[in-house]
Amino acid sequence: MSTRTIEFSPFTRVEGDLRIAVEIEDDRVVSAHTSGTLFRGFENILRGRNPKDAIVITCRICGQCGGAHSRTAATALADAYGVVPPPNGYLTANVFQAVEMMLNHLTHFYTSFAVDFAGPPYENDLSQRFAPVKGTSYVAALRVRKGLLGILGIFVGKWPNTLALHPGGTTKPVTASEIFRATGMLTDFRGFVEKQLLRCPLERWFEISSAEDLDRWLGQADHAEGDLGVFIRTALSYGLDRIGAGPGKFLSSGGWALSEDATWLKPGFFNGKTHQFDSEQISEHVRYSWFEPYEGGRHPLDGSTEVSSDREGAYSWCKAPRYLGEVAEVGPLARMVNHGELLALNLLRSAGPNVYLRVLMRFHEMFKLLEQTRVWFEQIRPEEPFYIKDEPKESGIGVGLAEAARGCVGHWVRIEKGLIKNYQIVTPTSWNLSPRDSADNPGPVEDALVGTPVEEGKRPVNLAHVVRSFDPCLFCSVH
Amino acid sequence: MAKLIWLQGSCCGGETISLLNADQPDVLTTFEMLDIEIVWHPSFSLAQGDEVLDLVQEYLLGNETVDIFVVEGAVYTNPREGPKHFAPDGTHLSEWVRRFANSARYTVAVGTCASFGGLMSVGSNPMGAMGVQFYHDQFGGFLGGQYRSESGLPVINVPGCPAHPDWMTGTLGALVSDRLTQDDLDRYNRPRMFYSKLAHHACPRNEYYEFKASAVEYAQQGCLFENLGCKGTLCESDCNERLWLGRTGSCPRGGFPCLSCTSPMFPDGFTPFFETGKIGEIPTTLPLDVPKAWYVGISGLAKLACPERLRVNAVSPTHIDTDESEDN
Repeated sequence: MSTRTIEFSPFTRVEGDLRIAVEIEDDRVVSAHTSGTLFRGFENILRGRNPKDAIVITCRICGQCGGAHSRTAATALADAYGVVPPPNGYLTANVFQAVEMMLNHLTHFYTSFAVDFAGPPYENDLSQRFAPVKGTSYVAALRVRKGLLGILGIFVGKWPNTLALHPGGTTKPVTASEIFRATGMLTDFRGFVEKQLLRCPLERWFEISSAEDLDRWLGQADHAEGDLGVFIRTALSYGLDRIGAGPGKFLSSGGWALSEDATWLKPGFFNGKTHQFDSEQISEHVRYSWFEPYEGGRHPLDGSTEVSSDREGAYSWCKAPRYLGEVAEVGPLARMVNHGELLALNLLRSAGPNVYLRVLMRFHEMFKLLEQTRVWFEQIRPEEPFYIKDEPKESGIGVGLAEAARGCVGHWVRIEKGLIKNYQIVTPTSWNLSPRDSADNPGPVEDALVGTPVEEGKRPVNLAHVVRSFDPCLFCSVH
Repeated sequence: MAKLIWLQGSCCGGETISLLNADQPDVLTTFEMLDIEIVWHPSFSLAQGDEVLDLVQEYLLGNETVDIFVVEGAVYTNPREGPKHFAPDGTHLSEWVRRFANSARYTVAVGTCASFGGLMSVGSNPMGAMGVQFYHDQFGGFLGGQYRSESGLPVINVPGCPAHPDWMTGTLGALVSDRLTQDDLDRYNRPRMFYSKLAHHACPRNEYYEFKASAVEYAQQGCLFENLGCKGTLCESDCNERLWLGRTGSCPRGGFPCLSCTSPMFPDGFTPFFETGKIGEIPTTLPLDVPKAWYVGISGLAKLACPERLRVNAVSPTHIDTDESEDN
């Protein structure tokens, strides 16, 4: 039996600073440790400040999904202040979050995940498509971002770091002619998706609900030649559907609030059985994190972030969030499973969670968002209010939940004497890249890496695929 | 060919995202037309783990010169205590910043954190987060006031939270062609070509500003300066002329205040964020070169002279046609 360890530092083309250490026996991973290596202390920065400062500060946790943080912060403050945005406030915030997420999914595939196809063991023609900066599809994808960015300019002025989302709605009323212009931009992006990725109309893709359907689709016309077809063929022939299982438990808060108590996607916790989502069941552990220790897990409202950087046994700045005490994966796959999306459920049933399925569901979600954004455009009533003034309260508790590109994000704020007493943030990558918890259960990525084949002397590309299938954001996870 | 190394300190990755948002020229065209070779960038490179160390080793040792060394994010200067920010080889990231800077023809700090400390340096700042050559408005920062790159220039600051992509690509362009001199930099070593105007210039709400027709709540059309915290009159940038996101938006166009994010004192020099601090009737955000007594006089007169059209629309979310309402 041969034993060796591989350490990736830096693990690149993820957002933020990540170190991965794996132990390998007989060319298979037997244990893995993931570490977030950059601490900035956002929760501590927020303490003692004006609650509205959270809108300015939390979006700066992450350059890629700051909009999800500002939505979550605004929702937490709305909860604390007892203010409900008008319908247009929900719709425009949803458009913003949808576009931010489509940008993320697009950028993640082309500038992060698919780039690994540009080297060995993959054929040369994949490199011509996916090589960074030069690949034909890489170039096409970066250039198509422009149209989507224009929608953000119209709806929220500036991005990253817009301040348009407030507890009482959005600061930017959009006019009918602006919606018309944005619809044009969205239509252009749809053209890219249908030509570059799918090679078929979006409607045709939505007819697919099983592995057999997918196989049939792949064999028709030139579907196999689009970027998605190439991904599916490559993933299946290189066994990406057989690596990166993870815990098989999925959490989603639903996201894209339509009103105070309705979300666009169905929320839930799926661990073989479907459970109702209840944010009270979230707790965070710090046994292996560089923070002052406490017993077991704590609900975020009682959470603390006291640095203890030389603590024995600790190996990450990430805390370890758990749901009902259990490890949970979050992200597009988790959302599609909890929403009851047939394609997700059927593929999950036949092969279990894996790298291929995670990436496929990221695409599927992007296609759904593309359709839904158009619906939200049409539901906006430009002549009606987008914002109502909130009345700040001297004390209170607020919970904000949203779905960011990488999964569930939550902000918990406790306000006393008009100032923030405690602010706790649980991000998607806190869930996925969590270290071990108080009961020594590994986090989802640590779990997913176990069993991955890694041949000695070869590029450990399978490890990269497993980690990247979760689209980690270490800026968010450590914050 | 110009070789470029890009390092991320304590940041959010927002400058890299903003660079990806470039449109005229876009980021790929910029690299192509300036013939930039990326030796290492955490998001653009294929390499990872030990491959990265192989790529940058000669530059770290000073055996090779990098043409442009870019830092995104603040540098932690308290490596002994508290949270550390490790470089990939296990040394402190600050050590990598120092070594690359020592062999660079130009060193560039992109974003307000790398330039001045920014958000990463607020509050008690336990990590000692600083800009590469400034700490807020004090020259020196992490590398110290003596530092000059091979070109003889200090660290060139391209602040903004995030920086506009044009400011980054335009600065790269000026450096690749060796056209940037000390005289082209302002008192905070920012390229004058981007930072000599005010965000206020070309703000679509300027007619409201002229007549002090101010919004009293968000999502109204009036000026955000008098009540809602806009710092566009202090912010040295060309945001409202240049526009963001494919020339479609800006902060006040998005209905929220400019927070002067290109300033060395951003963010905490600009609180409260969402309302206007005042001494008596005079906003503390008044430009320093506007005489206060004149301001009081002129704004009083302006309000008296304010047309009905602006008075009504300043506090309305949607446009109201006052001519029509009079006719009717």
